[in-house]
Amino acid sequence: MTSASGKAMVEIDRLIKRFGPETAVDNFNISISEGEFVTLLGPSGCGKTTTLRCIIGLERPDQGEIRVGGTPVVSAEKDIYLFPEDRDLGMVFQSYAVWPHMTVFDNVAYGLKIRKVSGKELKQRTMRALELVDLAHLADRYATKLSGGQRQRVALARAIVYEPKVILFDEPLSNLDAKLRELMRDEIVRLQKEVGITSVYVTHDQSEALVMSDRIVVMDKAVIQQIGDPETIYSHPANSFVANFIGVTSLLEGKLIQRNGDVCEMEVSDGASGFTVKALGGEGASAGDRLVLSLRPEDVTLHLSKPDDHSLVNLIEGQVIDTIYLGSFMEGRIKAGQNEIGIQINHYENLTPGQTVYLSFAPEHGLCLTQ
Amino acid sequence: MQEVATVATGPEPQRTEGPPRRSKAENRIRALFNQENIATMVVALIIGIAVILPLIALFINSFLVLDDSGWDTEWGFDNYLLMVTDRIIPKAFVNTILISSGSTVLATFLGVSLAWINARTNCPGRDFLEPYNLIPFFLSPFVGAIAWHNLAAPKTGLLNNWAQDYLGFETHILNVDNLWGVIWVTGIFFAPLVYLFVVGSLRRMDPSLEDSARTTGAGLFKTTMTVTLPLVMPGILSGAIIVFVTSAGEFGVPFKLSAPYGWETLTTQIFSKAVGDDANHYLGAAMSMALGIITVVLIWIQQRYIAPRSFTTVTGKGFRPNVLDLGSWKWVAFGYNVLYILVAVVLPILSLLVVSLHPVWEATIQPAQMSFINYEKTLFFWREDSIQAATNGIFNSLILALVGATLSMVLAIVVSYMIHRTKGPMTRLIDFLCVVPIGFPGIVLAMGVLVTYIQTPIYATLWILLLGYVTRFFPYGQRNVSSIMLAISEELDQSSRMSGASWFTTLKRITIPLLKPGIFAGWVLLFIIFLRELSISIILYTTGTETLSVGVYYLSNFENEPLTAALSMAQTIVLLAAIFLFRRVAGKEALTA
Repeated sequence: MTSASGKAMVEIDRLIKRFGPETAVDNFNISISEGEFVTLLGPSGCGKTTTLRCIIGLERPDQGEIRVGGTPVVSAEKDIYLFPEDRDLGMVFQSYAVWPHMTVFDNVAYGLKIRKVSGKELKQRTMRALELVDLAHLADRYATKLSGGQRQRVALARAIVYEPKVILFDEPLSNLDAKLRELMRDEIVRLQKEVGITSVYVTHDQSEALVMSDRIVVMDKAVIQQIGDPETIYSHPANSFVANFIGVTSLLEGKLIQRNGDVCEMEVSDGASGFTVKALGGEGASAGDRLVLSLRPEDVTLHLSKPDDHSLVNLIEGQVIDTIYLGSFMEGRIKAGQNEIGIQINHYENLTPGQTVYLSFAPEHGLCLTQ
Repeated sequence: MQEVATVATGPEPQRTEGPPRRSKAENRIRALFNQENIATMVVALIIGIAVILPLIALFINSFLVLDDSGWDTEWGFDNYLLMVTDRIIPKAFVNTILISSGSTVLATFLGVSLAWINARTNCPGRDFLEPYNLIPFFLSPFVGAIAWHNLAAPKTGLLNNWAQDYLGFETHILNVDNLWGVIWVTGIFFAPLVYLFVVGSLRRMDPSLEDSARTTGAGLFKTTMTVTLPLVMPGILSGAIIVFVTSAGEFGVPFKLSAPYGWETLTTQIFSKAVGDDANHYLGAAMSMALGIITVVLIWIQQRYIAPRSFTTVTGKGFRPNVLDLGSWKWVAFGYNVLYILVAVVLPILSLLVVSLHPVWEATIQPAQMSFINYEKTLFFWREDSIQAATNGIFNSLILALVGATLSMVLAIVVSYMIHRTKGPMTRLIDFLCVVPIGFPGIVLAMGVLVTYIQTPIYATLWILLLGYVTRFFPYGQRNVSSIMLAISEELDQSSRMSGASWFTTLKRITIPLLKPGIFAGWVLLFIIFLRELSISIILYTTGTETLSVGVYYLSNFENEPLTAALSMAQTIVLLAAIFLFRRVAGKEALTA
């Protein structure tokens, strides 16, 4: 997964961007290595696109500094601001932004012509970029005659043809249909590895982020929630927002009773009474602090009758609310007191709403998180 | 379906209800003569007669040559020959081309720059200024010419006198009584046409089209030249062609500013040769043919090659367009925009007001002399000294505008419905017939109507004017309705038919209520157009059927400037009120038609 070398390509220091009274990006810090694929992930309005637009130069930050390849491209404190065209970066936009008045070839060649490349070299490099995205056969066609997927390939070729230092993606796949999105996703990953170009990718789609990235930056409400590789983000979310945003999870509120080494003993509140569970996490919390238990559906074991095995910890009794057929598997919703827990079940398990079932999970599969 | 059939093993299902059995032939005839098809054919026939007959008559009459006695005619090309050999007509031809070219350049420059300032810069007060930029579009260019004559005629122009009195100039500094004056007035009055063609695509353009040029390495200037400008170019060209055609067909401005001083145009020549004491309709028809061929070819180019090339640059994402920070230049942009509104709207109206208040105008403002006598003479029809041409004009124009706009909109609704909602045999023909009138200037179509109906009872009545108005301008209403109809899902109609409503009930209950805002906006637009109409009226009016603009023409030609200014002012006030109403009804976006 790591084609990244150690050298920092993009460094962002204490970036702050405000729109009027709203803070769109608050104290954003990261160092992205050469060749790395970093995804900014978060719900719409979390500041991920604004961060990207600050890197490319379409927005001017209020505070902080951004360096590309060691040289600052913008610094609010030093009063440095390079125009987008002077930063030598490439960008792929959500709406493709393929120019309808030019052919595919002219679209891709644009950046090279600006860089005074001409003649044979222009043609060669443009065609090479078009071959990379498998569009060489459509070079003479007008962009208006292309499908959405083809347009996005043109946009991609246009951004890489002049070999920019970094390529930025602003939700490039969100206008495509599901099948095409997967195809293009793999295409972009393949291309990125092939060219080895440093990439910053913005998306609100967690599956895209998990599949494509070397590292993921999860953002919410203008603030970075967690930075980490996909596995860490998924299995060790830093807080309940990250846990909930990445993948499917049930969140149960409660408070910490005590910590034993890595294991927390937590009381999940359930109206008047509650039940006690053991799970990982809860770092830094002390007894009585409010915590949230995060449970992935695939980590919960279903028992149709009360298991005799007394070694099972974390046994929860509940009633089936309903089941949803999802093709390759089914999802069940179980009501445990006040709480609702999602589980993955197999087709052959026939659950009827109202039926009493028992759930269990291993302590290492539950995660106590701060809110 | 098959499964159901095998499962249902009961007795043969009895058909209790359902359509009665008919023979195939009967069905076919019924299909052909349903409400929908009959209506389509009738409408196609009506429009066909209204639009095509005058053009055919024009064509035929242009080959009829009047002999020396002025009574008999014979076939020949003499009318066309005369257009080359005549002392004045070839010059008029050249002048028309010069005026159209000049006003196209001026209007395009003004329209594009103002649209850009309003859509893409941080010029102060943009939201406030925008509606005023469009006002000239609704006012009468003829009245604009009268007003500018008052402002900048060499001897009597107010601005010239002020320049001599206060700024110490020896002689006049401005002179609009020439080709330049015509170019100036038509240019500033038709600038909103270009503005409307450009501002929408500038404002709604996906900003990432330009952003991606920037990120690819192009500077602001390069981006503007290689991306922004090419993308709005179809709009600019369309606007420019429309301005050229409209200027070529404009009668009032050259009639007021250049014709009296020796610069005739095709329109003023058509008027003076075809109407008047020694009228020669046949020569007028031939000149109309020449003018019509120029305009129809240009409009055809616009419709066939330029309009389809407009780029869809809009995306669903509700991004604001890129707004350029002009720095302190924004005040220059602001000043420029205010200056435009000043010369195109404020100054002309003020000059009309000032002049209209003087019983006798001697090119200086004399507050002591001011009175409303001119308004009384032109508006108070019950007074004995009222001027008939003016008071008649008010009544006739109000009737024509009310009836004409209503009739046009009824036609527009039916026609739009047929073009977009039915697949009858006549649909494509109707679509074509709706574009044809746009290709011909009013004066050309009016010549056609004149030669067609001159020997029928409708000649010398308001009916012939009504026919000319509706034929020439109903396509404008039709475009207004069509654009909305395209935006409304056809399924809404189909659901009504499915529920059992007939075609007519559906039209009445579903389609028309949904179209109401568009219909009303179109109605007000046509009301405005008809209220200021000159070039059709000037050909078709006779004593008693003068219109408002003909009244202004009459006063300008046979009476004095203050009386002219008073009636012009009255017309302008009604138009301004209608514009206000139009904006209230149609909103900002409805103007892009």
